[in-house]
Amino acid sequence: MDENFQEEQFTGIINFTPPLYKQRYQFVKDLVGKYKPKKVADLGCADCTLLWMLKFCSCIEVLAGLDICGSVIKKKMRRLSPLPADYLQPTERSLTITLHHGSVAQKDPCMLGFDLVTCIELIEHLEESELEKFPEVVFGFMAPSIVVISTPNSEFNPLLPGVTLFRHPDHKFEWNRVQFQSWALETARRYDYSVEFTGVGCPPRGMENVGFCTQIGVFVRKYPQNSESAQSEKPTEAVYKTVFKAVYPSLKDEKYLQNAVVSEVIFTAQIIKRSLLDHLMSEPEEYNDDPAERKSKFQPSVNSFSENLGKLVVEKSVEPFVNGNVVYIPLRTIFSFPKVNQLCGTFEKLCKFVAGRVTLSSDGSAVMFSAEHENEENWLTDFSYKVQLK
Amino acid sequence: AQQALPSQPLGPQQPQQPCVPPAAAAALGGRGRQRGPPSVPQGQDERRPKGLQISEELQQLSLGDRGGRRKDFHDLGVNTRQAIEHVQESKTGSSGVTVKLTTNYFRLTSRPQWSLYQYHVGYNPEMEARRLRSALLFQHEELIGQAHAFDGSLLFLPRRLRNKVTEVFSRTRNGEDVKITITLTNELPPNSPTCLQFYNIIFRRLLKMLNLQQIGRNYYNPDDPIIIPNHRLMIWPGFVSSILRYEEGIMLCTDVSHKVLRNETVLDFMYSLYHQVGEQRFKDACAKELIGVIVLTKYNNRTYRVDDIDWDANPRCTFRKADGSEISYVDYYKMQYNQEITDLRQPVLISQARKKSGSIVPGPVALIPELCFLTGLTEKMRNDFKVMRDLAVHTRLPPVQRQREIGRLVDYIREDDGVQKELSNWGLSFDSDLLSFTGRVVQGEKILQSGRTFDYNPQFADWSRETRGAPLTCAKPLDKWLLIYPRHNYDAANTLLQSLSKVTPSMGIRMNDPTLIEVEDRTEAYLRALQQCVTPDTNIVFCVLSSARKDKYDAIKKYLCTDCPIPSQCVLARTLSKPQTAAAIATKIALQMNCKMGGELWNVEIPLKQVMIVGIDCYHDTLSGKQSIAGFVASMNQTMTRWFSRCVVQGRGQELVDGLKGCLQTALRDWFKWNKCLPSRIVVYRDGVGDGQLSTLVDYEVPQFLDCMKSVGRDYNPRLSVIVVKKRVNTRFFAQSGGALTNPPPGTVVDVAVTRPEWYDFFIVSQTVRDGCVAPTHYNVIYDTSKLKPDHMQRLTYKLCHMYYNWPGVIRVPAPCQYAHKLAFLVGQSIHREPNQLLSDRLYYL
Repeated sequence: MDENFQEEQFTGIINFTPPLYKQRYQFVKDLVGKYKPKKVADLGCADCTLLWMLKFCSCIEVLAGLDICGSVIKKKMRRLSPLPADYLQPTERSLTITLHHGSVAQKDPCMLGFDLVTCIELIEHLEESELEKFPEVVFGFMAPSIVVISTPNSEFNPLLPGVTLFRHPDHKFEWNRVQFQSWALETARRYDYSVEFTGVGCPPRGMENVGFCTQIGVFVRKYPQNSESAQSEKPTEAVYKTVFKAVYPSLKDEKYLQNAVVSEVIFTAQIIKRSLLDHLMSEPEEYNDDPAERKSKFQPSVNSFSENLGKLVVEKSVEPFVNGNVVYIPLRTIFSFPKVNQLCGTFEKLCKFVAGRVTLSSDGSAVMFSAEHENEENWLTDFSYKVQLK
Repeated sequence: AQQALPSQPLGPQQPQQPCVPPAAAAALGGRGRQRGPPSVPQGQDERRPKGLQISEELQQLSLGDRGGRRKDFHDLGVNTRQAIEHVQESKTGSSGVTVKLTTNYFRLTSRPQWSLYQYHVGYNPEMEARRLRSALLFQHEELIGQAHAFDGSLLFLPRRLRNKVTEVFSRTRNGEDVKITITLTNELPPNSPTCLQFYNIIFRRLLKMLNLQQIGRNYYNPDDPIIIPNHRLMIWPGFVSSILRYEEGIMLCTDVSHKVLRNETVLDFMYSLYHQVGEQRFKDACAKELIGVIVLTKYNNRTYRVDDIDWDANPRCTFRKADGSEISYVDYYKMQYNQEITDLRQPVLISQARKKSGSIVPGPVALIPELCFLTGLTEKMRNDFKVMRDLAVHTRLPPVQRQREIGRLVDYIREDDGVQKELSNWGLSFDSDLLSFTGRVVQGEKILQSGRTFDYNPQFADWSRETRGAPLTCAKPLDKWLLIYPRHNYDAANTLLQSLSKVTPSMGIRMNDPTLIEVEDRTEAYLRALQQCVTPDTNIVFCVLSSARKDKYDAIKKYLCTDCPIPSQCVLARTLSKPQTAAAIATKIALQMNCKMGGELWNVEIPLKQVMIVGIDCYHDTLSGKQSIAGFVASMNQTMTRWFSRCVVQGRGQELVDGLKGCLQTALRDWFKWNKCLPSRIVVYRDGVGDGQLSTLVDYEVPQFLDCMKSVGRDYNPRLSVIVVKKRVNTRFFAQSGGALTNPPPGTVVDVAVTRPEWYDFFIVSQTVRDGCVAPTHYNVIYDTSKLKPDHMQRLTYKLCHMYYNWPGVIRVPAPCQYAHKLAFLVGQSIHREPNQLLSDRLYYL
């Protein structure tokens, strides 16, 4: 909820480096790095900056944001959309990002099953009635393994020039450490969580007694959730409005996996073909039938595009060969390339993926290419295709 | 530790050298808050808030209004028609038969009296930060409304506030009260350029709302890509759109666009290049293949042009973040985007941010090859027949399909509630049907060849069959010529000779046996043969090439176009070796050789007398990025069958126009030599004019032409017409034939509805296409004292499209443009300096 530029206005005395909002987000990022949650929800996600940072964390597969203000979410939400690169090279992990418009004082089943719920600079914006319902919604209903709550530490305020009552006009309260900790301990006790206190934004030298500028409570659920009993009483009625949903391309999706396999197979096969033909054409006098000799010649050129190719083992029976005007590259050879191998897992899967998408030999064991050189530049003559095509 | 690539092709020597000049690093950090490293384009990168982005565009908009610094892609400010007297009343022609057409335009039906109101917003006390200014202003959303665009000081609203000056108060979070004064400064009528640009900004906002991905200037749908694994290509379908004022009001023009993305990173590409060319040529090859290429970064949605490769830098180099701390690229990308850089020896790409866009201040930006995807096609791919063929299958949509795809965008807009709401906020709405109107198909041209007249089916726009084997208008003999071939291509050379001797007699070409020269298949061997055997009376040199090696071709062309000016014909042995096509190919080659030696093939009837036609096109050497070449051709006779040519080669930063003036002077001198008089009319067809360059042409180039004519003689005052030719337009026309949509027939002329009221412009569809949609060519007459009726101007233009001797049919542009293009291309690709003037009276560049 914080507009993040508060520090900037306080020229002079207090100047946090990196800025305080970044320190808060970094704190969450570090926590994610430590606990590796799969599903993370940010309550009071505002302009989605934290979510945007978290989408780069490879452990996270589900990200959700909730805010009471629909327009502030919409302002920047598109930066959570997949990037062109995500389509060009889909990753193994799946990622779904959903944004909801709604109140933390209300329960909605879409918030169930999360591992980590973050409430960064949220609670101080809540009206008294909302704050009352908040623990039940977050700890009682959502009941994630970890909850992070940050809020201003009012003891720090005298150090912030210009702050008269609260740091932000929308704040309904700002607590000192005792107030926050007693609320947190009481909440943790009621819902069987343990809580530890920390913060970001160190006070200046000599003023250490005021504590962190932002105080943070990290709540960890004491017992694994007895999901059956807990879930049964939960209402199923949706009250939040979904304003954004992005499903990232992932290799877990068969469609993307097959595309990736087919691309990789054809690309790999072409490299093999090129090096085979180059080898046949450039050094015919040195050519001999010793497979070891051929292998050693063949390898360096394949080595070119992946450092892992040193591991490549070319079995004699699955060597590519030229027959007439056709190059045959056995699927077994292609399968032995780490990238292909990694994508498919099993040889059977490879066969299944390429069937119908790649030209195969009659027995289906090899990829077929015309032995003609592909990339000849016809245009480099006066008389060319280009002329014929205008 | 950094054994990522055993062969170490990319290994720089100094590991810790900062690779971006500190000045740049400092410059790039310029935005208020630290957003990460300055020299690396990241922070701004998380896509900017929509509101802000608009504001930035707005800022540019307002800049453009003041000083014209913004590139005006649509040439909105250029009003040339007002100075052309004879088209004040009407610029439309009347000849031909009418044809019902539809086009990819949608009428914008804006609210009546829709004006844009521009306000100045002042703060007291003064507030510096733009975001703060914005936040304070929008505390009064009830006053301002949902629809607004604000750049920190200029506010645009679709409605008028009650008072001319409005004062409101906001409170900062520090509890400080700020007085905001909103003053109406301008009311922009719906047709004003600013207002039009504003429509475009809003429309882009809509496309973004539709979840389309912006790449460059257009928007694409990534959900259903077309994959071409053979070439590691991926195609995203998308839309290109613009809103402008046309003859019949403000309209949205939208067309299908395809973005070609490549499934490989710059590093992948470098690896395979290394193994193709070897270590020695590696760096040169990288520079050649990569500089000028547009890359897309993995971690954000930005594109950059590669301007340089820093081989002394690597991912371990550090840069200074805006907060003053040093961090290495590898750590930075890991921390910020969780991107692993695996090869720590790769170099760093440098991109020069050219203009201020958003928070990016001009200056060098460093990019890591492993984190950059290649986009678009390389010149090499573009010229690879197989790549283009595979692409065309997916990108050349026939009329029906194209119309369906265009309609899809309209459906998207209609079905999306958010978009509808945004539209209604601004009070905008679009017609849902494509614009329909009536065009004309002008009469086909008869082909005259050596006293005979040939009729052909105008629907096909091709007379190759009708004129095959017929005597040429002017045949040049092959009395003394050379045939150079490598030993192993003896058969191809022999086949060629036999075929030529069969096909040439009927054309009227007298042919002696050539001097046969067998050479080793090396460039030096060809050159030595040329040096030894070419004499001044050699008619032409024929080179059979075993493979498409560019260096060999370039060397031959360079020698025979500069040092030793003799026409030459280079053909791949493979082209000649197929027996079933040998005769057809020999025919085409004979025609081409005849033109190169100064012969003439055919002509069309040109009623205008004493007119010199000029064609100009430019070639920009994107690879070296240094040279631009202008090809210049001018007709020398009444039938437009003989063309004088010159070429201007210039370094970066030089103005083209001075060179062109010299070209025109020599052309007039030559004309005088041939015709014993000076032309009374000059018609210039100017191709190669980029978006937004029109005003430069009007303000500088045209006056130079006029100057040049004055310098020829005191009383010399010919009538001048200057026509800008544009092939790359998004306009498409569909003809309705029996309920189905088809391509309009060749000769279709459009000078209504979708032309621009402030210009004397028209479209002609002159060519046919085998598949896909035919693209009309746009002609904009920017200067005209000819007094020619629009009808005649259009007919003259269409006639000239019949005169390109490399193609026995109608082409997309007037022949002089295509000749100028061929010349500039040859010089830019192979010769790199102005060819010998002794060749200037022949079409040696075909």
